[in-house]
Amino acid sequence: MPNNELVEVLDLDQYKYDFRTDDKPVFRTEPGLSEDVVHAISAHKEEPEWMLEFRLKAYQLYLRKPMPTWGADLSDLENVLDQIYYYVRPQDRMKNSWEDVPDNIKTTFDKLGIPEAEQKVLAGVGAQYESEMVYHSLKKEWDEQGVIFDSIEDGLKNHPDIFRKYFASVIPPADNKFAALNSAVWSGGSFVYVPPGVHLDTPLQAYFRVNQERMGQFERTLIIIDEGAQAHYIEGCTAPVYSTESFHSGVIEIVVAKNARFRYTTIQNWSNNMYNLVTQRALVNERGTMEWLDGNLGSKATMKYPSCYLVGEEAHGSILSIAYAGDGQHQDTGGKVVHAASHTTSSIVSKSISKGTGRSSYRGLCKVYEGSTSARSNVECDALLINDTARTDTYPYIEIEEQSANVGHEATVSKIGDEQLFYLMSRGMSEEEAMALIVRGFIEPIAKQLPLEYAVELNRLIEIEMEGSVG
Amino acid sequence: MAEAVADRLRRAEHEFGTGDLNGLDVARLGEGEPEWLARRRLHAWKVYETTPMPTERMEEWRYTDLAQRLSIDQLDVPSIVTLRDDPDTWPQSLKRAMGDDPETSGHLVLLGGSVVYTDIQPSLASQGVVLTSLRKAVEEHPELLKEHLATQAVPPEEGKLQALNAALWTDGIFLYVPRGVRLENPVRVTRWVSRADAAYFTRTLIIAEDTSQVSYVDEVLSEDLDSHALTSTSVEVIARDSAQVQYVAVQQLGRGVFYQSAQRTLADRDSTLDTLNVSLGATTTRVDLNARLLGPGASSNMLGLYFGDGDQHFDHNTSQDHLAPATHSDLLYKGALDGTSRSVFRGIIRVAEKAQQTDAYQTNRNLLLSGDARADSLPKLEIEADDVKCSHGASVGELDEEAIFYLMSRGLSRNQAERLVVLGFLGEVLQRLPLGGVGEKVTRAIEGKLRTGAHA
Repeated sequence: MPNNELVEVLDLDQYKYDFRTDDKPVFRTEPGLSEDVVHAISAHKEEPEWMLEFRLKAYQLYLRKPMPTWGADLSDLENVLDQIYYYVRPQDRMKNSWEDVPDNIKTTFDKLGIPEAEQKVLAGVGAQYESEMVYHSLKKEWDEQGVIFDSIEDGLKNHPDIFRKYFASVIPPADNKFAALNSAVWSGGSFVYVPPGVHLDTPLQAYFRVNQERMGQFERTLIIIDEGAQAHYIEGCTAPVYSTESFHSGVIEIVVAKNARFRYTTIQNWSNNMYNLVTQRALVNERGTMEWLDGNLGSKATMKYPSCYLVGEEAHGSILSIAYAGDGQHQDTGGKVVHAASHTTSSIVSKSISKGTGRSSYRGLCKVYEGSTSARSNVECDALLINDTARTDTYPYIEIEEQSANVGHEATVSKIGDEQLFYLMSRGMSEEEAMALIVRGFIEPIAKQLPLEYAVELNRLIEIEMEGSVG
Repeated sequence: MAEAVADRLRRAEHEFGTGDLNGLDVARLGEGEPEWLARRRLHAWKVYETTPMPTERMEEWRYTDLAQRLSIDQLDVPSIVTLRDDPDTWPQSLKRAMGDDPETSGHLVLLGGSVVYTDIQPSLASQGVVLTSLRKAVEEHPELLKEHLATQAVPPEEGKLQALNAALWTDGIFLYVPRGVRLENPVRVTRWVSRADAAYFTRTLIIAEDTSQVSYVDEVLSEDLDSHALTSTSVEVIARDSAQVQYVAVQQLGRGVFYQSAQRTLADRDSTLDTLNVSLGATTTRVDLNARLLGPGASSNMLGLYFGDGDQHFDHNTSQDHLAPATHSDLLYKGALDGTSRSVFRGIIRVAEKAQQTDAYQTNRNLLLSGDARADSLPKLEIEADDVKCSHGASVGELDEEAIFYLMSRGLSRNQAERLVVLGFLGEVLQRLPLGGVGEKVTRAIEGKLRTGAHA
């Protein structure tokens, strides 16, 4: 068993995004939530009447639904929810050029390396600061092919037909308490439409930053990948560390049409004062493929279970989940696959690392409805415990109504073994190197799926050089 | 003192009012019992009354709609049967079941909710082994019962049905094995249930002292009933240091019966406490099994087997609690489901922070034999220690076509091949606990079910 000093040397908990930007928002609602706040948000966004009605209905649902009693400890959350700002507007309107973004905000994103990455490797970038997208831009070549990559507000304004057809169709407000809350106060997020047959060969990226103290961010994203299209969307999140709690609750709805292929990558690295309760779901049609790559490294408490609803024959869903829970963190993550059509296939691979007083829980569902013949699903969960105060849980739900289904679930829990360390050290490695190698080997199956920059971000966290890692 | 008890019971009657199943039964059952027991029943009844009825909104009952499957209020608790120890009057199938049993160390028969027959080898009795009805044990071994009956293992606080059982039990089994005594042959219990619209509440208490050894096989049978009935048992098994205990329950009740069994095993230092639950009959089966590994070096193998057809519903809810270092548990539950039958397996391994060097395994495998069958599996882990070996697995699938093809290529008919594959699949569980005749008996019962089912 490695001693605690050694664990410290690994510096797993270093948080490099803890910088604050001084600024004055152009508008913010009073702390706390009321119907007036919902009205104010809708009015600021100059929304059509149906959206205001949708929000108000959702608000009532939110009030009625009880707080979840499972998952992360939310006993203090009601207090937090009474004190946060639900809507903070950082600037007048969204910009399409970094030059026009106010300096202090631009500096923030510079520090996060977003504009630089945009030039190099991305097809488009959206940047959200507090409650609004402050920047959104798509490379011209994709614009010309009919790809839409906009803020969610502009999606509603400029593409009302597609928007209304799909909005809240995958995740209705009544889905859960926080989906209802998001539906009532949503602000910011992306609207993506990829037309039939278009293959985006570089990713779209959205970056979410919460700067202010006691902030509630409620991004809403709607993504439609039309027939035979392909795309990859990356989401990153950070915030400065405050002594008070902040709250992030997103709703991400995705429709993958026939033969389309889509990957959604999240690297959640919120500061350790953030509650992160997110609903993410994809509807996957005939022969479509949906891949979630879900990395949860930050936050105080995360509850997030990306889902694939396989509704078309031969649809495929895959969820790769990696969670790291350091001191005081609880990552309650996992995934859901619902087989509602024949010959659908899915796989969930989850890897978690718990250290100090951290706790990581895998929570997952594999459901096969009757009549979804020959569905196949495989779930693998591995947990690594770095020391004896850490905790890990596995809560899989397997519900099979179909005889011809073939479903398996396997999970293991292990620690960094003295024998492994001893072996590597006998080959000339220092103890730190040996530990790093073991951790790296553990997460490698997922890390290798990440785009390079994110693999690097993951490595920074674990202070491991990924180059030349085990192949 | 007797006056005080009578007074309390009179008050209880007054408080509880009337109805088919109510506090009156508690009072009636408490008559003539020592004060501590009457008081325990009243307490359990209070717990029952204040505990909400489980609903599907509760995690532990998510897949079993208790209210729909059991109308507790419409059942009555039959009076305690005065001993009918004349085997000539016993039902044929009960006698047949007993006739199949090989050598035993002792035998106990329950009809409905009462023990009607007990025998134990005189040589064992002279070594201090006790096998008797719980009612007798209350008189003859009050200290042991006071300490262990519905206290550490299955107290009323465990749940609504556990509370009801603790309030209303009519009889049961008490098995005590003194220090160092080893029983070569199993102790057998055979139960027969015949009345519809009745609720039978019984308890089992097994105490195996240091370095003793005992196996216990409990078989419950009935005909199919016209309407429904409840068979409720609370099972408490205690293995002291280095004791070896095997507990086997074989349930072959008829249709109409709701079988509910709450079991807890307490394993002290270096003891081995293995369990096997075979669920073949009843319309609804609900087994809650909690294995507690309390002493360093304790070990529990937990086996389960279920085979459903028609509209049978099985809900096995297990937990493996590792509370001391260097403990070991290994669970294997396997089931095959035909017709519109349905199974739920919910299992959890909990490893406490101090339970280092623990090995804990959990496997649930299901075979769906029909398009309308359903299997839900929830194998969970909660691990707070880091130096552990822990894994679990669950699967749901259909018959292995390749295996069937192979067998058919060797000249078997499709039906024969399918039966062989199902028996082989379930047989793995029985092989792990080869215990005098149980494997053969269960295999015959499964074969019988396969013959009458769609796969005949």
